[in-house]
Amino acid sequence: MINIKLNVNGKDYDLEIEEDLRLIDLLRDRLGFTGTKEGCGEGECGACTVILEGKTVNSCLLLAIQAHGKEITTIEGIGKEDDLHPIQESFLENGAVQCGYCIPGMVLSAKALLDKNKNPTRKDIREAISGNLCRCTGYEKIVDSIEKASKILQQRGSESHEQL
Amino acid sequence: MNNYKNIGKNLLRVDGKQKVMGKTKYPQDIYMDDMLYGATLRSTEPHAYFKIDISEAEKLDGVVKILTHRDITGENRHGVLFKDHEVLCKEKVRRIGDPIAFVIAESPKKAKEAKKLIKIQYEKISAVFDPKEAMKENAPKIHDDSNIVYHYKCRKGNVEKGFKKCDVIVEREYKTSMVDHAFLQPESGLSYMEEDGTLVICAATQYPHFDQIEIADALGLPKERIKIINPAVGGAFGGREDITMQIHIGLGALLTGRPVKVCYDREESFYAHSKRHPLYMKYKTGADRTGKLIALEAEIIGDTGAYASWAVNVLRKSGVHATGPYEIDNVKIDSYAVYTNNPFCGAMRGFGATQIPVACEQQMDIIAEKLGISPVEIRLRNCFRKNSVTATGQVLVESVPLDKCIRIVSKRLFAESEMVWG
Ligand code: FES
Ligand code: FES
Repeated sequence: MINIKLNVNGKDYDLEIEEDLRLIDLLRDRLGFTGTKEGCGEGECGACTVILEGKTVNSCLLLAIQAHGKEITTIEGIGKEDDLHPIQESFLENGAVQCGYCIPGMVLSAKALLDKNKNPTRKDIREAISGNLCRCTGYEKIVDSIEKASKILQQRGSESHEQL
Repeated sequence: MNNYKNIGKNLLRVDGKQKVMGKTKYPQDIYMDDMLYGATLRSTEPHAYFKIDISEAEKLDGVVKILTHRDITGENRHGVLFKDHEVLCKEKVRRIGDPIAFVIAESPKKAKEAKKLIKIQYEKISAVFDPKEAMKENAPKIHDDSNIVYHYKCRKGNVEKGFKKCDVIVEREYKTSMVDHAFLQPESGLSYMEEDGTLVICAATQYPHFDQIEIADALGLPKERIKIINPAVGGAFGGREDITMQIHIGLGALLTGRPVKVCYDREESFYAHSKRHPLYMKYKTGADRTGKLIALEAEIIGDTGAYASWAVNVLRKSGVHATGPYEIDNVKIDSYAVYTNNPFCGAMRGFGATQIPVACEQQMDIIAEKLGISPVEIRLRNCFRKNSVTATGQVLVESVPLDKCIRIVSKRLFAESEMVWG
């Protein structure tokens, strides 16, 4: 057993864990963040994507201990029931969601992209979600949704600028 | 349109919000106090008799129970059409991946560790992997006396006379491959007993009502005592029509009195569920010099692997669709479903119709080329229209706008290809 400290969705945790525990198992089984999905367990599908220090990672490929001292965002840290993030809003409105199993990973990959690149091209978007497989939708509507979300965010950005 | 409440409107799916927030519960996401974890031991041989020894595995600390065929409280069988699957194999395995034992332990790790301690002694017997070989009298038999599960015949007109009238006849053989659904959420389930003795099984399934009957039969319980809860399903595409883990976890909860959960990993998911039937298709198609199809003879053999699943319905559909969407006066179609020692095949998107165009459309292109007419023209000449009669004798009385569709598609297709290359 080993001690680990980390911050998930803005909250600090101090835990004792098994050395070989994967990050995904820590998040799901120990902390209850079951929005992080396991689709393959070997870094292929991206369903287990979380944001670690601003970058997307496959939580199935990381040992929990590698997250020691780090900040993690899972899908539970994005948006609220009555105040969805524009990415979530856009996925919902554009019919980008079918079975939903890939969606948390998709939303997080999109978030990591838009945090860095306010005005991505469709190619940038495809690149950003290239590690996320969706078996249901065919990607087109997912790309549309991310593009729309970037527009909404830009608009909001310029509006809040005007207010200043 | 404006008078309708829903038609023509952009509606949000009712489960969408929970899904974008990651709150939707798939079976994996359900946890219960005091729950146990299962792991399935599967055969590594495609065709063999076997003996199992669980004595060492049972002794491992943390192992609560190891289920084998001896523990089954009802009938050791299931299957959507024929009851040809065993819940846990008794003495013979028929494919790689057949379930032999189900270990139940205090943690997933312990269950996997115990699995490694189970000893299986195989006595291999000859196997068959090619459905055409499997159809022969002397082929190794997967189940009973014949490997031929089903033979569908369709006859219309007289093909012999028809071929005599043809100016061009094309004979070719085609093969399609086995395909996995690869739904993104691997199989998982959780089972527990309610206080009144009801056994609850939460599993992502396409057939809760069928599952209930199959689980009841296998456990020897009345249907009323089995409750199926279908939480969110992470894709299915036909691959969740057969039982996988439902009976194992149900039996586990029944016998241990504690909740039992199992999560397959991706590799086990590939072993556990059905596949798309690979088809072997032998086609003979004839037309006159204008490109009008006159006769078609087709033999279609579907490899259903070790179990039938929906093979009968799938191969019937392949046979029914063998002409493609074209009107042909003289037709002779024979389609077969055949057991082999391959992974088993069942429902998958299109259900036997999807594979057919590989053969029938290629035949169209070859005939067109031989006659020096365009692939579009030959399709327009033969495609179903209103009042066409299909090979099975069905008269298409409703709207059949296929010719319109072909015209629009070809116009766009060629306009665009000119844009790209021209
Ligand atoms: S579960 Fe981590 S990449 Fe698929
Ligand atoms: S919505 Fe099903 S995998 Fe993406």
